[in-house]
Amino acid sequence: MSATAVEERLKTIWETPESLWGWFATVDHMEIGKRYLVTALVFLIIGGVEALILRIQLFRPDQSLVSPEMYNQLFSMHGITMIFWYAQPILSGFAIFVIPLMIGARDMAFPRLNAFTYWLYLVSGILLYVAPFLGQAPHGGWFSYMPYTNATYSPGYGLDFYALSLILFSLSMTGGAINFIVTILRLRCPGMTLARMPLFLYSTMTISWVSIFGMPALTVACLFMELDRRWGMHFFGMAAGGNDLLWQQLFWFFAHPWVYIIFLPATGMVSMIIPVFSRRPIVGYAWVATATMLTGAVGFSVWLHHMFTVGMSDMAMSFFSAGSMMISIFTTIQVFAWVATVWKGRIVMTTSMYFALSSVALLVIGGLSGIFTGIIPVDWQVHNTYYVVAHIHYVLIGSNVFPVFAGFYYWLPKMMGRKMNETLGKWSFWIMFVGFNVGFFPMHILGLMGMPRRIYTYEPGLHWTALNQIETIGAFMLGVGILVSIINFFWSRRFGEIAGRNPWNADTLEWITESPPEPYTVVHIPTVASRHPLWDDHDEFDDPGDDRVLAEGRLTLVSHWLDAEPFAVSKMPKETIAPLLASITIFGFFLSLVFQWMWAALGCVIATVLLAYYWLWPRENGEEIA
Amino acid sequence: MATAVQTREPRFPRQPGSGYPLDDNRGTWGMALTIATEATLFVCLFGSYFFLENNKNRWAIDEPPKMNYAFIMLAVLLGSSLVLHWGEKQVKKGKHRTGRIALGITILMGFAFLFLSAFEYLSHWKELTPYSDSYGSIFYTIVSIHAAHVIVGLIMLIYTLILPRYGPALRSPYRPYHVAALYWHFVDIIWVFVVGLLYVMPNVRIYGF
Repeated sequence: MSATAVEERLKTIWETPESLWGWFATVDHMEIGKRYLVTALVFLIIGGVEALILRIQLFRPDQSLVSPEMYNQLFSMHGITMIFWYAQPILSGFAIFVIPLMIGARDMAFPRLNAFTYWLYLVSGILLYVAPFLGQAPHGGWFSYMPYTNATYSPGYGLDFYALSLILFSLSMTGGAINFIVTILRLRCPGMTLARMPLFLYSTMTISWVSIFGMPALTVACLFMELDRRWGMHFFGMAAGGNDLLWQQLFWFFAHPWVYIIFLPATGMVSMIIPVFSRRPIVGYAWVATATMLTGAVGFSVWLHHMFTVGMSDMAMSFFSAGSMMISIFTTIQVFAWVATVWKGRIVMTTSMYFALSSVALLVIGGLSGIFTGIIPVDWQVHNTYYVVAHIHYVLIGSNVFPVFAGFYYWLPKMMGRKMNETLGKWSFWIMFVGFNVGFFPMHILGLMGMPRRIYTYEPGLHWTALNQIETIGAFMLGVGILVSIINFFWSRRFGEIAGRNPWNADTLEWITESPPEPYTVVHIPTVASRHPLWDDHDEFDDPGDDRVLAEGRLTLVSHWLDAEPFAVSKMPKETIAPLLASITIFGFFLSLVFQWMWAALGCVIATVLLAYYWLWPRENGEEIA
Repeated sequence: MATAVQTREPRFPRQPGSGYPLDDNRGTWGMALTIATEATLFVCLFGSYFFLENNKNRWAIDEPPKMNYAFIMLAVLLGSSLVLHWGEKQVKKGKHRTGRIALGITILMGFAFLFLSAFEYLSHWKELTPYSDSYGSIFYTIVSIHAAHVIVGLIMLIYTLILPRYGPALRSPYRPYHVAALYWHFVDIIWVFVVGLLYVMPNVRIYGF
């Protein structure tokens, strides 16, 4: 077969049909990755607008733009939206798009599961956002402490939507984590041993393991909450022998690892971007990889530091304080590796690099305030004040939003084939950077001055007014900065400079593909001989026997998880509508549970089981089900 | 054979051109990770059980749960695991029919387990309901979530039962059988822990061995 004929053949095998059915049935990781990114950005905008309403409310003392109950619902929805429905899914979006390209595979290990987790993520977000339209959004903050959230003090459906949409969300995240682990461990191209994996893969794999072992605690906590609220059981509430702290224990056992789940992939992205724009390999590759994995592991033994004010033994407090300090060592290793890379490199100041470097600076500030709150006496002082609000925003915006924007400016040329406009990008960066610091740095001071978090207004004469006004202005600047980048995206999609295969002269395999990549990625599945395949002399496509073309069907190479020796080919499934239908029936199940329509719930379960049978049924000759 | 090292024959016909056999292990990886996360779910449930035990005016040790049904159910589940494992070995040898019969017996034993657990609930219900106190809530929740896992396991086994021979050689569906069996064994092992922690331990603490 001639080269073009092979390309045509691969294209017909891998292409999703361009029809309405194809749109709903696609299992293409690039399409699904982009959907994750867009959906998560929509949630970022929704959560951002909620935050801006909060900031207007706090602009003046005794402001009455929103009622106290409305304020509670707004800050709860803001926190829940940002922490769950924006922060992790956006990183999943990058990972799903980039990782198969980065490891030279043609799709994720479970393409249909990939589609399924996306649809579950979408419907869980929709389920959450049904609540505000009933006027009964959750109002207990993003961590919804008992006993405030039990049926007596929080009647209405708000917290039922919270609990059930989070269970649905955790299903989606667990499925995604399984998919990432199997993809990274089994589908790496020949030669990409564990020691040659790009660092983004280390961070994504680490958080996938953390999700596997962390998400069940959230599921159990939300299940208990629902049973306690709606089914007359007694897990919380001292009267019937329950314990309100059970909620906090389970929630934070999940939620502190969750902080690393939304933080580590972002550091992985920084570890990809900084070396490319410093024109040298990262300093201390093994140290960074190890520090990433240790952060994930030790992240499971720090959860009590959210509960220092609850009252516990000195031993427990010392242990968890020490654990929290230990994490900062691992983070510091990464920070020093980045700084050393920049120091030893020749810097190219692109917008992406601006965002990446600034995220390092902001992470240091957020990390330092984290060390303060890890010290128990300081924690007692600043607990539930704006100091903590400042800390989480420095950590989450500094080391999630800024790296995500670095990632957008870095990988969007691969996704859309055109580069983003650098001038607009730098404008966007400076407005965001200044706006963020103006908006959030004064929160440290306000917190030390004693302003509690989650108050809907404050009295004049407390000297809080000026700082609050500065914060509001900063928050709006941050919003404008993000808006500039969104405008930049729409402009560059049409008029941007054509990117070509490797606009940044980067080192990893995703840049060997066309921009945007063909549905089959590359004709010959590449081989790798070093950590920086595009910077060495090895020819990735050298394949005289055409052994790695695999044009007999939807196939990709499977290699050993440790040394990446190929030993099999994996058959990939075709487009199917089953994931979408199954997620709709599961959505129906959870929605019925909120209102306790038990027959409808049973119907949804039966429909889901039938759909699962349809999904897994062997169709063509030789298709492997398992 | 005298040689120490045996080369593993690929189970599937080689794909033309590629030179590699078809991968047949993906589902096992997925199932292993599913089991890992499900096991953590039960760890969290057991953790909550012991957390609630700490501050209670009434707990299992005041009136330990009766164990007779739990042990019969344990015997049923462990027996079903043995039957299923035997069936899996038959399917691997290509004995499709025998494997299916074993699967059918396993499914019947699974239903027997659910049937028995209804009696088990009834035997407790007079003294303890999920609504009486935190002990009742956590006890029934753990047992019911386990029962729900048995149902999911049965759904997988029934799917495997009705699966036809397929593929170019019309071979017996060994891999789905294997994957479903993994999950079934996991569910059975969880019941060992449930019996040990929720039934035996309070009894031992009161009455000794």
